Amino acid sequence: MAKHGADELSCRSGSLDGEGRASEDRSLLRQRLAVQELIDTEVSYLHMLHLCASDIRSRLQQLPQGDLDVLFSNIDDIIKVNSRFLHDLQETASKKEEQVQLVGNLFLEFQEELEQVYKVYCASYDQALLLVDTYRKEPELQRHIQGIIEAVVPQAGSSGLSFLLVIPLQRITRYPLLLQKILENTVPDASAYPVLQRAVSALQDVNTNINEYKMRKEVASKYTKVEQLTLRERLARINTHTLSKKTTRLSQLLKQEAGLIPRTEDKEFDDLEERFQWVSLCVTELKNNVAAYLDNLQTFLCFRPHEYSLDIPEGPAVQYCNLARDLQLEAFLTFKQRLEGLVWQPLCSLAKALLGPQNLIKKRLDKLLDFERLEEKLLEVGSVTYQEEAARHTYQALNSLLVAELPQFNQLVVQWLGQILRTFVTLQRDLAKQVLQRAEGSMAQLPHHHVPEPAFRKLVEDALGRTSNQLCSFQETFEKVLPPPTTQPLLPGSERQAQALLSRYGPGKLYQVTSNISGTGTLDLTLPRGQIVALLQNKDTKGNSSRWLVDTGGHRGYVPAGKLQLYHVVPSAEELRRQVGLNKDPRCLTPEPSPAPAPSIPTVNQVIAVYPFVARSSHEVSLQAGQPVTILEAQDKKGNPEWSLVEVNGQRGYVPSGFLARAQSPVLWGWSLPS
Amino acid sequence: MSWIPFKIGQPKKQIVPKTVERDFEREYGKLQQLEEQTRKLQKDMKKSTDADLAMSKSAVKISLDLLSNPLCEQDQDLLSMVTALDTAMKRMDAFNQEKVNQIQKTVIEPLKKFGSVFPSLNMAVKRREQALQDYRRLQAKVEKYEEKEKTGPVLAKLHQVREELRPVREDFEAKNRQLLEEMPRFYGSRLDYFQPSFESLIRAQVVYYSEMHKIFGDLTQQLDQPGHSDEQRERENEAKLSELRALSIVADD
Repeated sequence: MAKHGADELSCRSGSLDGEGRASEDRSLLRQRLAVQELIDTEVSYLHMLHLCASDIRSRLQQLPQGDLDVLFSNIDDIIKVNSRFLHDLQETASKKEEQVQLVGNLFLEFQEELEQVYKVYCASYDQALLLVDTYRKEPELQRHIQGIIEAVVPQAGSSGLSFLLVIPLQRITRYPLLLQKILENTVPDASAYPVLQRAVSALQDVNTNINEYKMRKEVASKYTKVEQLTLRERLARINTHTLSKKTTRLSQLLKQEAGLIPRTEDKEFDDLEERFQWVSLCVTELKNNVAAYLDNLQTFLCFRPHEYSLDIPEGPAVQYCNLARDLQLEAFLTFKQRLEGLVWQPLCSLAKALLGPQNLIKKRLDKLLDFERLEEKLLEVGSVTYQEEAARHTYQALNSLLVAELPQFNQLVVQWLGQILRTFVTLQRDLAKQVLQRAEGSMAQLPHHHVPEPAFRKLVEDALGRTSNQLCSFQETFEKVLPPPTTQPLLPGSERQAQALLSRYGPGKLYQVTSNISGTGTLDLTLPRGQIVALLQNKDTKGNSSRWLVDTGGHRGYVPAGKLQLYHVVPSAEELRRQVGLNKDPRCLTPEPSPAPAPSIPTVNQVIAVYPFVARSSHEVSLQAGQPVTILEAQDKKGNPEWSLVEVNGQRGYVPSGFLARAQSPVLWGWSLPS
Repeated sequence: MSWIPFKIGQPKKQIVPKTVERDFEREYGKLQQLEEQTRKLQKDMKKSTDADLAMSKSAVKISLDLLSNPLCEQDQDLLSMVTALDTAMKRMDAFNQEKVNQIQKTVIEPLKKFGSVFPSLNMAVKRREQALQDYRRLQAKVEKYEEKEKTGPVLAKLHQVREELRPVREDFEAKNRQLLEEMPRFYGSRLDYFQPSFESLIRAQVVYYSEMHKIFGDLTQQLDQPGHSDEQRERENEAKLSELRALSIVADD
């Protein structure tokens, strides 16, 4: 067809501007050829893609699906886009005159789609290559793959997979070149010219963007990985290179802090970062608080008060047990599960998602310091090394990546947080509804369900008041069960003594010796079993409460408290019945203590030492039995009434108060005074 | 009642009929169980209400921390939502405190009071046992003398011992009778005693959860939450997570 056209043209080329016309015709021819080349190559490209995607891929089934996804990436999407593209391309062939312009427009139409679909493929291409390398290392596998490829695409040669996988990359970069060729052979004043120009620059932009995207992805994947390194691994990483990097950065930072060099103020980034920090804080706090809430809920659920029914077979107690059990097993359990799934899990995912950007922000700062230093160097020296140039680009890539994506990140997180909070609120409402339903059901069966709350509270208060009194009376009843009367026989002749002690001291103070006591110290008594004594003090002068001071009616002294038993003057049966009768009294009264019988002997206000005391220190004074003393103070310096300050024989000192007695008529009780 | 060791030999005659002893042990056994249950219930109730209070407090903290985050100042929508949430949480905390107070008053206090009777009861039972021991001992003594040859001094001693026995026996029988009467009464009193408490407990739940339903129902309306199912919500969460993960700055894991 082209040749026919060329013949036509050459016929037409006439006399005068034969030269110009000829070159014009040649241009036109070349243009037509270029357009045809575009279409033809597109056809064979698409054909190759089909071979890869269908024939080869389906035969590589022994590779895991994940690998195949990496290798072939989104080749299916590419095929879709390019198929439509080719179809439209081939249609333009019918409109000869406008074809070039149509082609240009077609490219502009498809620009966006091409960029979207090819950038994904290009970004994963490196990974695919790595995978191909690993296959190469396994000879068996490699042979197998080669076999398949050679069967389908013989011209692939020994490079096999990598030859095939690079084809889309080659194609997308070729578009601008093909378009350029068409443009060169188009007259500037043709209507197609500006369109073509735009198409060329569009496709160049596409390629630039694809590269940028690829670099960002690389940078991101390099720095977002929060590596779990052990200390040893971290140490192993330190070498002179990293050390120098870090020290250089540190000095750069210090210079900035000291104001020696200007810091690159990037307000836009700083605002972004600040907002990110707030978002992070929000997520972290919320996660911790929800964790605490869940912990408390767990604790609440592990107590089961309803399991102790107190053996009450019916009524509100049973209602409560059933209600509480239902609530725990269903309502609260469901609530907890929903909370975990719909609130806690998302918060955990959010918290994890924060780590990537946090890392990148840190890295960006590091790289910024490098960048600033290099900017300085650039100013001073005028050029930087290749590595330094790369470092500058890394910073710029990081920065532009963060600036591009942080706003979206922040917004997404805040939106999600809002969603989570709303869910939390709804869960609470649902819990309340569930519990209320069941509780109202239980309440309807209660005796007082029709009574409004304030009236009910008064009712309960009154009821509790009444029953509390009843409890008191029970307690009283039980407390009135007294210790049994002592059953040890009285020594002969001691009954009169016991009566005497009884009338002197009262019934509550009488004790009976339960087993023979042999006193060891000078103040200790030796008593046989069965002897009745009266308690004077239930501890000795040192405060020892297992040594009691007693009165036998004849002697006073100390005995071990363990060998004494309260002696009940045996009550008669009537007295017992009287005591039981007292319990019928509904009022909660404490029984009045039986008053101690008043001593029937008039006392003389003279104090006598009852028996001897040997002073052991300079604060104390010695006594002889029967000695009259004058009490100066009935307690010691600390207020302890066990000791009294006395004056005897002109001497002053402390003596045990128990050794003193107001003088009574000494004859009656048969005190034996030492001679 | 085998914890009190016998000091003196057993009497030959069975002084307390087996049925009486069995009755006594049965009644006392029931009361011992009741004591145990009362104690446990009181403890668990206390722990449960403590955990309840803690839960409420941590809910308040959620909204409090949110409110103090600078994000709220800048975002009007967020601010109004968090403020509403905060108000709701604080109100619920107040109601919760009220509920716990009511439970304390009408359940835990009565339980404590009921439990405080048991020490007296246990002491009374111990004393009855002591009386029984004394009774047995003297009875054995009487029997010993009754078996001896009836000489003058023996007869005198027999008379004396019989005289000692009488008050002791009467004392034991009085105690026994008293306790056998009172113990079932005490046990039965639990029915009337505790029913108000349990009624109160149920009603307290109704009061509290009515408020909670109303407050959170209103809040749900206000925050314009569509009635999503749990699966829908899960899908929404998945979608949000995917959106986040699509960003390059978010690490893939």
